[in-house]
Order: sequence, then C-alpha cells, then structure tokens
Amino acid sequence: MRQHLSVLEFGHGRYLKLALLVCASAITAYVWHEPPTGYLKPYGGTWLGYTLGTIAAVLVVYLMLLGVRKRRYRSNMGSLQGWTSAHIYLGATLIVVATLHCAFEFGWNIHTLAYVLMLAVIASGFFGLYAYLRYPALITENLAGESLETTILKVSDLDRKCRALALDLPDSIIATIMKATRTSARRMMVGGSFRRQLAGTDVRCPTRDACVTLMRFETSSLTSWQVKKYEQLVTEMTRKSALTDRIRRDMRLRALLVVWLYFHVPLSFGLLAAVISHVVSVFYYW
Amino acid sequence: MEILVTFVSVNARGQTQRDQRRIAGPQLNVGRGTQCQIHLPDPRVGLSSTQINLSEQGAAIRSDPGTMQVNGRPVVGAMLLEGDRIELGPYLLDVSAPPEGVALALSVTLISPLVSKGSGVLGRALRRSSRISKRRLSYIAFFGVLMLCLFAPILSDILEADSFHPSDPPAAPDMARQVARMVSAKFTSAWNPGPVSRSHQVFGDDCQACHQLPFVQVRDKECITCHQSVAEHVKRSELSGERGVAFAESRCAECHRDHKGIQMAPRAQEQCANCHNAIKGASAKAQSGNVTDFGSDHPPFRLSMFDVKGEDVIKRVRQGKAGTAGLVEHSNLKFNHKLHLNPAGVRDPRGTVSKRMGSQASGRRTVLKCADCHQPAEGGRLMAPVMMENHCQRCHSLAFEPKETNRQVPHGSETEVATMLNEFFARMTLGNAPPQADNQLEQGRVRPGSVLSYDDRQRTLQIADLKTKAVLKELFETRKVCTTCHEVSRAQTVAGWQVAPVRVARVWMPQALFSHAKHSSQQCETCHDAGFSSTAAHVAMPDVGKCRECHTGARAIQGKVTSDCATCHKFHSGRDYWHAAMQTQMRRGVK
Repeated sequence: MRQHLSVLEFGHGRYLKLALLVCASAITAYVWHEPPTGYLKPYGGTWLGYTLGTIAAVLVVYLMLLGVRKRRYRSNMGSLQGWTSAHIYLGATLIVVATLHCAFEFGWNIHTLAYVLMLAVIASGFFGLYAYLRYPALITENLAGESLETTILKVSDLDRKCRALALDLPDSIIATIMKATRTSARRMMVGGSFRRQLAGTDVRCPTRDACVTLMRFETSSLTSWQVKKYEQLVTEMTRKSALTDRIRRDMRLRALLVVWLYFHVPLSFGLLAAVISHVVSVFYYW
Repeated sequence: MEILVTFVSVNARGQTQRDQRRIAGPQLNVGRGTQCQIHLPDPRVGLSSTQINLSEQGAAIRSDPGTMQVNGRPVVGAMLLEGDRIELGPYLLDVSAPPEGVALALSVTLISPLVSKGSGVLGRALRRSSRISKRRLSYIAFFGVLMLCLFAPILSDILEADSFHPSDPPAAPDMARQVARMVSAKFTSAWNPGPVSRSHQVFGDDCQACHQLPFVQVRDKECITCHQSVAEHVKRSELSGERGVAFAESRCAECHRDHKGIQMAPRAQEQCANCHNAIKGASAKAQSGNVTDFGSDHPPFRLSMFDVKGEDVIKRVRQGKAGTAGLVEHSNLKFNHKLHLNPAGVRDPRGTVSKRMGSQASGRRTVLKCADCHQPAEGGRLMAPVMMENHCQRCHSLAFEPKETNRQVPHGSETEVATMLNEFFARMTLGNAPPQADNQLEQGRVRPGSVLSYDDRQRTLQIADLKTKAVLKELFETRKVCTTCHEVSRAQTVAGWQVAPVRVARVWMPQALFSHAKHSSQQCETCHDAGFSSTAAHVAMPDVGKCRECHTGARAIQGKVTSDCATCHKFHSGRDYWHAAMQTQMRRGVK
C-alpha cells in the first residue's frame, strides 16, 4: 500500500462518489421535474428550485467551515484530509447544484452576482488544488534535494568567497563584486511583494549584472595568476547566479502555492454575504 | 585498501586539532549524511554527492556537477595527486603523500564555518514582505457585499417605514433622506431577478406596488387593486371536492408569476388537466366533458343552438353524441347551399356568365363563392350575418308591382310591408297610373283642380286596401316571394301573415377563441362542407376531428400546429358572464 494518498483519493474516493451522486440526483430531478405553473422554464422558486437552493446554501456554509475545522487541532470530527477531500468534491458539485437552482437564468442582479462569486471562488479553489498537487514536487525538484536555507547559506558563502577572490583583481571588478554581494546581502534577494515573488525573475538582479560585467571584462591587462583568480571569480559568480535563480524560482513556486488563497478566502466571504443577501431579498419581496 | 583521513579543526581557544582515521576502501562516500565514510557535517555539503574510488591506478574522485572544485576548477571527476586541493562546499580536502600501507592521505578542513550570524541572515531572507492579510480582505469582502447587496437596497424601506406612520401625518421628508431613498431605490433594482411583464412595466422600480409586506407572498388583494373586473374561472360556490377547494384557495400569483420575462400569463395545460381530467372531482355541478389534451383527449364540441321547442332558448348540443347524429338546425329558413354553389352558377338576370350547361341551365348566370355572402365581421373573429339587402336581394327581388319594377317591399317586418303596400297603392290610385282595378269598383277619374269628395277618398282607400290584400297574398302565399326562404303562416296580424323568426346561430361556439382571420390561409370548404348541403337544417360546423387534421395537443408533432388549452379557451372567461353575453348576442342576430 502506498504511504501517501492524495487528498483526491481519500477514502477510496468516498467524496467523489458522494459528489457524483449529488450531481446525478440533481440533474435527474431537474430533467424529471415539470414546473407546476407550466412555464416553459423551471426556476429557483419551484419546490425543486427551493430544494436545490437550500442544498447549495448549506454546501456553501459547510465548505466554509473547513476554515474553522483546520484550526481546531484537537477536533475529532473527521480527519482534516477527509474534510479537505469533501471540500474539493462538494465544492465542485456546487457548480451543478447552483446552476440547476438558477435554471440557467442570469441577469444583472445580486442573484447572478452571488453565482459569479461562487464560480470565482471555485475557480480559485481549482487553481489551489492544482497548485497543491503540482508545485510541491516542482519545489523539491527545483532545490535538487537541498533546502532553501542551505541554498541561501551557499549563496552567503559564495559572496564571501567572491569578495576574497576579487581582492586580487582590479578596482572595477572589485566594485562590481562588492555591489553584487553587498546589495544581495542587504536586500536578501528573496521575498518582496506578491508581484515580485510571482514574477520569479528580477530584471535588476545585481548578481546577473555583475556576471555580465565580468564576462565583458578585458583580461589582457591581467597577469597570469590574476587571470586564474578572474576565472575562479567568474565560476563562482555564475554558480551564485544559478543559485539565486533557483531561489527565486523557489519563491515563485511557494508564492503560487499560497497566492490563490488570497482570492479564495476573501471571495468566499463575499460569496457568503451575497448568498445571505440573495436569500433575504428573495423572501423580503416574496 | 585504506585511506588516511585527517580532520583538522580549531577549538574554542583557537588551537588546531587533528583527528586521524583510517577508512577502508575501495569505495568511499563523502557527504553530510552519517552513512558516508567521510562525514562532512555541514548543510552546505551534498548528502552523499561525492565518491572516492581506490584502484591500482590510483585514487579518483567523482562528484555531482557543480558541487566540487579541484584546484580551483569546477570539475565532475579527477584523479587525485599529491598536492591537489579539493573544495567541497565549505570544506577543503588536501591530498598529501600517503604513508606506508595507505593508498591515499587526505586532510579535511572546514575553511568557512557556518557563522552564527547566518541564522539571522536566514531569518531576514525568508521573511515575506507581503503586507496583505487574508483576514482583512475577507472582512472587506463580506461587509462590502452585505452593505451593497442587502443594506443599501433595504434602506429605502427602512426610511419609508420611519417617515410614514399610519397615525401621524407624513412629515415632509428632508433632503438627505430623499436622496438616500433615491440612491437606495437604485440598489433595490439590483434585487430584480428578471424583467417584469409588459403590462407591469408601468410600475418601474416601485417594488411595493405588488410586494407590500416584507416576507409575505404577494396577496390577491394587491392584484385586484388594478384587476378589479377580472372574472372568476368558476364561481367559488360551484367548486367542490378536494381539488375544487384547493383551486378556490389558490392565489393569483400561483399561476401568474412575474419577473419571468414580458409574458406572465401561464399556458399550463397540466394545470388545466389537474381538474379537467376528472372535472366532477372539482365541481360536482360541472357540465363540461373531461379533457387532458386537445390532440388525444378532448370531447366533441358543443354547439350553441336554438332549442327546437323553446322560443329563444339556446342549448349547447354536443356534436357526434349518440342520438344527435346529423345535428339539425331549426332556423326557420330555407336555403340550399348546393344550389347556390353550383359550379355552373345560379340564374341571375344581371349575371355575367352565359354558358349552357347541359339541357337545363341556360340564360344569364352568376357563379357564387362563399365569400359573396359570408364576409368576416369586424375584427375577423366571426363572420358577419348574411343580410337579405346585401346578399340575397340582387337576385331575390321583392318587387310587387309590374308597373313599378324598381319598387320593392321592405324586408324584415310584415307590418311594414303591409303599411308600405297600402300607402303605395293609395298613392297610385290617386295618381296617374292607377293599379289595375277589380271588377267591383269603377276606376274614378278626377278632373284636375277639383277637390275630392269624402266618398271619392273612401273609394280610393278601398281600392288601395283591396289591392294591398291581393298583393300581400301574392307575396306571402301564391307567388312564393317570402316563402322561397321563410316559413310563413296565416296570423291575426296587420298583414295577415307571419314570417317565422329566423333563428340562425350567429356564434356556434361563443366561448372559443377561434378566429376566422387567423385561418384565412385555408379555404372555407376545408372546414365547412356546406357545398353538399341542400337544406338549411344541415349544420356545417367542423367537428373536433376536423380541427385535429391540422392541430395537435400541447406536445409538438411535426406537421401539426401545437395547441394547448389556452389556444382556444380563456381561463378568466367567467362562464356565466359569457353565457349571458352570448345569449344576448345571439338574440341580437335574430331579426
């Protein structure tokens, strides 16, 4: 038996089956149901419409409770993996249930706003699922078995080494190297705004600039042992550049792993408010 | 084979310490992993990324790309020679001359130890500087949506309720409140789930026009505010049984749901069939037949006809019912459709056709079409009544005096005929062209300028009376003028004869929404087989089977017109109302 089961495979696809059952029942009921007033179209106000709407509203609340459950470390109410599996499958089910609830009727009103918010939440959730399934592997692959911390330490070492190597080289080189190593030490290369993290590249990367400057350096003025030092320096700076790129890619992947939540969670609260408004408005002007 | 490894380190007091170990070959792993024979405990070293192989040729080192430099050059593998300097991360491996019995001598020095300051660097390096908080965004989204979608729309109601209290006279609203209400009303329109029906668009954004109480379904009261005269489908007193009671209690809005587009009148055959599939279950007094679908389950039509016995009583007679085979109309008229629709034409003194047809048909003739007599009434739904003056009299002249062929008796009233004749003949007797006198009376001649004596006048009137009686007899009896079309009998009236009242059914199916205009693409004969009828008693109304040749029920079939209940029937017709109107309308058709 495999030790690691994806959240999608939880309980032999227990929630997948549940979700498929809910979808199939909803679709069957929708096809079978004949609106009592004989309007050519069904709508949310028939008994089936109210039933589907209630299911959808309950689902929304249940799906949002994942946020509560995952903070309850002492809770015994099902495993968190199970909750997450259910969250994913039942969240996807919501598309079918809510679409049948509204009977494909859309307009410029708060009811469709709630629907659109729901779709946005689900879409961001799908991206999150994709990110959780794909990016951890990419992160491991990117770091080639090392941790981010050791990679950063390596960069730190390389900085020191480069500064030492540059001591024997002309002033222009030493200035370039000092700039590259000092700046990186101060700015620490990693982090920054979401935009910077997600970009995964830095057009103003001092290390890369330094590499380019080094490569263009005319070596004819150097003595033979200086050339040796220069070559070493180029090697080390190139290594450092590769490492910083790797770190940036790591940052990018880690940012992708969390960025969707910044949409998923606030949008879901917006959705909750829209659903409340939708339900109140429908019955306020019954 | 063995190698000698010397680990060089510096203790806290700065003294160099050497730790020598002999490690057996021929293959040695170098890395930070504890399973490695040459263990380099530093996170910057690969787990087990480097191997040293001892062989007869010498010692060779091999490492993952980018992890090792030999004599300052990054290489993947190299033979180890005395004096070589190998850098593995922070470690420096010096190759020295091996003592006796050892293949290789290495000294391992940590040249750049992990400084404690590094952890601080690390901490800062990994700090995400993103200041956006999911929690804050969630609050904004939740309360923002709630404000815009719930609070703002409901505000106008709150303001309304606040300003208007039934006991107080409504205070003049201040500016701010008015503006707030206007803005709020705009937000309320975002609650509208769909376009309101055409006739309700007059309300605009005024939700309270129908939705008067919050959280209460629209009541019939609100509908009836405008729709005061709408007729009940069936009187509530006539409803009985479970279905009948349920029907009586149903709200207007159960059928008429607005916000579903511009049309809000339902066409719900299933709803009709709910009661009409077994109508006695909803109303014990009901007389209509059971019906579920026009195409498959619809009783024969009932035609509204004058009762044979009664004077003006109209009864609804079901077509094709046992015992009524060949419905007979008692219209008191004589009319031969077959004769009039003769393809060779009918005899007509002013006819345009002059063709011999066999031996019998000769003279001037006119070919008649249905439309020569049957014209649609205004609106096109019904046919206008056939009128003697417009449709018959051209051929069927009511002339009575050979000397005055352009004079005809009026049509429609025996008394008027008698009066007109009397007056006519009186004038004639007095005038220059007296009618042919009977033997008993001498024809009086009056000198111009003389005054008629009493006796003269009496005699003249006598002549006119006698002449009138003679002509009346001609018209009503002997010459078959009236009797061509009418049932005439002797009676104690001014004229002495009575024409039976014409009782033509003007509207055969007064409650049906049938429109002749909508069927104008068809020929008359498609539905009415009048061309074969030689008697006025024949009823040429199509039956349900004839309609089904083109129409099917609510379920669409290719080649047929889909027709649900509402195609022909009106729900709010108010049966009794219509029945009374129908009776009046039909009586109006009777001359």
